[in-house]
Amino acid sequence: MKLIKGEIVSNERIGNNLYKTTIFSPYITKNAVPGQFINIKCCSDNTVDPLLRRPFSIHDVEYDFKVFSIMYEVKGNGTHFLSKLNAADVIDFVGPLGNGININKIENDDFLLIGGGIGIAPLYFFAKVLLAENKNVFFAAGFKDGNFLLFDKMLERLKINYEIYSENGMHGSKGMITDFIKKRIDDFKEYDIYCCGPVEMYKALQNIFCLKNIRAKALFEEIMACGIGVCKGCVMKFKDNQNGYIYKSVCKDGPLFDLSEAVFEQ
Amino acid sequence: MNSNDNPGISVKLGSIRLKNPIVMCSGTFSSGIEYNNFYDVSMLGAITTKSFSLKPREGNKPPRLCETSAGLLNSIGLQNEGIDFFIYEHLPFIKRERFNTILSMLGSDVNEFSDLAVKVRNIEENLIAVELNLSCPNIEKGGMSLGLIPEEVENVTATVRKILNIPVIVKLSPNIENLPEITLRAKNGGAEAVSLINTVVGMAIDINTFKPKLGNVTGGLSGPAIKPIALAKIFNLHKEKILPIIGMGGIFSWEDAIEFILAGSSAVGLGTVNFVDLQAGKKILDGIIDFMNNKNILNIGDIIGKVKAG
Repeated sequence: MKLIKGEIVSNERIGNNLYKTTIFSPYITKNAVPGQFINIKCCSDNTVDPLLRRPFSIHDVEYDFKVFSIMYEVKGNGTHFLSKLNAADVIDFVGPLGNGININKIENDDFLLIGGGIGIAPLYFFAKVLLAENKNVFFAAGFKDGNFLLFDKMLERLKINYEIYSENGMHGSKGMITDFIKKRIDDFKEYDIYCCGPVEMYKALQNIFCLKNIRAKALFEEIMACGIGVCKGCVMKFKDNQNGYIYKSVCKDGPLFDLSEAVFEQ
Repeated sequence: MNSNDNPGISVKLGSIRLKNPIVMCSGTFSSGIEYNNFYDVSMLGAITTKSFSLKPREGNKPPRLCETSAGLLNSIGLQNEGIDFFIYEHLPFIKRERFNTILSMLGSDVNEFSDLAVKVRNIEENLIAVELNLSCPNIEKGGMSLGLIPEEVENVTATVRKILNIPVIVKLSPNIENLPEITLRAKNGGAEAVSLINTVVGMAIDINTFKPKLGNVTGGLSGPAIKPIALAKIFNLHKEKILPIIGMGGIFSWEDAIEFILAGSSAVGLGTVNFVDLQAGKKILDGIIDFMNNKNILNIGDIIGKVKAG
């Protein structure tokens, strides 16, 4: 990990309040693995609003051009600041951070990636890395509405099988992606499964996988302060080996964890 | 000029001599190992470790963080792996890299402080001081609940002082009214300096769910939002001339650090800024040295408490 000043190559609005920012950084493109993130200073020099850096997962890497991208929805001051930046502006970030997906340790040939909303962002990078290794990838994505319509084109370019559901039917089939997984789970029993999405999606998937005794990995997010494992602010509760629980830092121990070990408060 | 070659930047707090006034605040810098990736942290006056207790502590229920206007609310609850983890996992690195380390100690009562001090005695030659955390607002036993009671402050300080041969610093809370009395008790117990201020008790509420934004309901506020509170507390305590002060609370720039020194801080603590600027220690030290050069200040000690307040 390094403290980096990187030049923005492009900052595109790709949906309603949805942006893709592409940044030049040979260091990140060389070192980042899927699931890792960067922690961006989202305010001008010598200002303190917003105070903390904001974490963004790495959404895409284009090795030939030494650029990488982040994808985000504008939710608060930090993402609002980022959305207003232009090409040639320089941003200050730390990365790559976190415990990502080590492709060298993967033996399976078949992969199911399940993304909910903006959770598709890091899984897209993972899909590209898997395809470069000649793996078979099925991408299941669920959205609220039609705001991520461009994602179909991105998946088509990858030439992989995919299924998209949206809650209001504006994008793909109408319904929840978790219902699709529940219906088709037996087809994916031998797959390695990775997910990224909101807590409600994780709870539903936990139930589905638990019944079938399937293990899956998940990428989590939390509000962070340091991003490097120092402050213990971004912890989540996980089961430990003694039928108890333990708090783990999402930034350093994660963001990749076993989904079955996560304990969600009711 | 390299700070290490500049004798005018060194400071003295009782028998504690720091090569410069930059001290990292407990809980914001771990033991310095992670930050050494971003600059040579052995250049710092001192690194105060996160607070270690005798046994591991799991910390508070999440969510533990909430950003507020120019501030950060936290309710970490002093999650730590216990003193043995520090001794076996952090200390070898600290020794090799020659960090100037102040160990922050946490106990729920005087007995735990005593047991902890016995363990620390075996490694004290690697430390420049210990800091007693008598001011964390996020735990039920120990922390601020001990630091509110003058007799307990004196008792805990004296107990640790008797066991250890290195200087003792007491970290104080701004959430108490009788700071001079508490500081005097710390001095009577054998403390050589105080760290001031720990976080300010605060709260934030989610208006959609009606729930507090922190799992622990209330937390400690840090960052630029508390800087004026810290300055006033330091200014008022410094006037009493009881003990030297390591001033902290919202320092984000070298200009802030100079304000703290003028208010009466013999050294300055950097906390929340470390999360935002991972090289803050180096930058703020450089800024102080440039300021001294520009103002022809030969010795930083010459401006401690020199605010012209009439």
